[in-house]
Amino acid sequence: MASKGNTDLHPTASTLMDPKPTVLHTTDKIRKGIECIMENRYRRLPVVDDEGRFQGVFGVNCLLRLVLPKSVVMEDGLKTVPFVREDLSDLHRRLKEVEDEPISLCMHFESAQVSPETPLLETLLILYRTRASLPVVDTETGKLLGVISYFDVGEKILAAEA
Amino acid sequence: MNHEMEMIEVVFGLDPQWYAGILFVLTYLLIMTERINRAIISLSAAGLMILGGVLTQEAAIRGIDFNTIGLLTGMMIIVAITRKSGVFQYLAIWSAKLVKASPWGILIMLTLVTAMLSALLDNVTTVLLIAPVTLLITDELDVKPYPYLFAEIFASNIGGTATLIGDPPNIMIGSAVGLTFNDFLLNLGPIVAVLLPAMLLPIYLIWGRGLKTSPKNRQHVMNFQEADAITDKRLLKQSLFVLALVITGFILSHNLGQEPATIAMFGAAMLLLLSNLPRSASEQTEAIDGIFAEVEWITIFFFIGLFIIVYAVETTGLLSMLAHEVLAVTKGDPHNTTLLILWVSAIASAVVDNIPFVATMIPLIKNMAPSLGGHDALMPLWWALALGSCLGGNGSLIGASANLIVAGFAERSGHPIRFMPFLVVAFPLMLTSIAICTVYIYLRYL
Repeated sequence: MASKGNTDLHPTASTLMDPKPTVLHTTDKIRKGIECIMENRYRRLPVVDDEGRFQGVFGVNCLLRLVLPKSVVMEDGLKTVPFVREDLSDLHRRLKEVEDEPISLCMHFESAQVSPETPLLETLLILYRTRASLPVVDTETGKLLGVISYFDVGEKILAAEA
Repeated sequence: MNHEMEMIEVVFGLDPQWYAGILFVLTYLLIMTERINRAIISLSAAGLMILGGVLTQEAAIRGIDFNTIGLLTGMMIIVAITRKSGVFQYLAIWSAKLVKASPWGILIMLTLVTAMLSALLDNVTTVLLIAPVTLLITDELDVKPYPYLFAEIFASNIGGTATLIGDPPNIMIGSAVGLTFNDFLLNLGPIVAVLLPAMLLPIYLIWGRGLKTSPKNRQHVMNFQEADAITDKRLLKQSLFVLALVITGFILSHNLGQEPATIAMFGAAMLLLLSNLPRSASEQTEAIDGIFAEVEWITIFFFIGLFIIVYAVETTGLLSMLAHEVLAVTKGDPHNTTLLILWVSAIASAVVDNIPFVATMIPLIKNMAPSLGGHDALMPLWWALALGSCLGGNGSLIGASANLIVAGFAERSGHPIRFMPFLVVAFPLMLTSIAICTVYIYLRYL
């Protein structure tokens, strides 16, 4: 990892990250994921295993996926469903059917991530392209070290001398 | 053929028959492993046939059946445009509501729709259109999708048997022998009409009685608004108009003196024209790029390579020798030969790709003409080949591309169709269908 003096001169992902983010665990149920996201209005949360290794992310998009019929969200599924008439209770029923399943059922395993040494501009570019909070992961141990959100970055940029 | 034989002098010092024969067998084996894309295999083997000296480039091009290629490509373009209108979803939902969303009624209706569409479109396209709607309906009904998907696999292969354009083997046979759309419809249509209900009976006995749902779930399906499935009414009208013209063209092709490929390609060109008229030149380019991208080029190039390979083998006289061997087994009896072709085609098509199988069988059967009494005497053999190769695909999960597409949908929906459980039910059902065909062929042609 880069030394303190070096990161001051050349900030990296570790400079920007929140080192104590809210996380979910792979053994958590979907119900807990929903509660976490709805209470804090998170767009997505990192998921770690028992040893703190980053496994993927669970977010609002996963929730949307859960309330839609599988025939719509699957590969080669229906492209449009303007003929279906459902109400909110139908969607809630679909969500209740899976809320006791582990979050691994619909978390994203392939998520963009950066290492703590990723340079500032590269980190911002990945954040810009990902359009969601970015996990910072130790490349050797796979452990989640923190999360970079738009707001962390915004605060740090505004606090810096122009 | 003899002319081609005279051209062959040396193939790396090998006997041309051995060279072409070994290359042909290797091609088959490689296709079966599915380790390398089948288009790559067939084009490579075709190249080796030419480079090895079995064929000249000119001879290889003569071996390609452009009627089959044109018919396949034309229909793929028409379907790629038509599907964007939403008409196929409309048909599926309309048929489900017609039976008041009864689970067994829906199974029958989706089976009929699949069979009907398979008769007019290729089977893979049909199941790609119908399987997702089926999963949506079974989700709303809260019933297991397995019986529905199983029935649709059978319906796609049975329905495709009925017409010239329903299944690639029929396109190949029709093109090679000069059989028309009407020939297929009149000769294979009746047996398909018998086979469909005959296959639904065991499906009912195995699964049908257990298909139950609540009135509330049925109401979910009844609430579907099929009219809203039509996403582009203008395109729908254009597509149906062209599709109707093309089908009419197929029916009248004999009177018109036109080949099916010309009718299909011209229909495709007309639909491209109609659907792109309001667009600017750059928008047209983009739209046509998108439509052409939906043509299954892997299948098209696989066919091209395969035609060259089989033509090369034929020019060496190997298939003529094989034809004589087959006739020796059946003692030159037309009845036995016909039934042998029916059963061997069915069993072979359950385990190997029926396209290369039929490509090989066509010249082999043609070589039997002198011994069996001329070309007219071969007609029962052609129907036996078409029935066996199309229906044989129902015998296993790998028997037809459409089966694998449906299995993929089933897997992704969380209700996988496994190889062995499918085989245990499907193989005996396929054999039953071939037994029914045996009776049909015997009564009608022998």
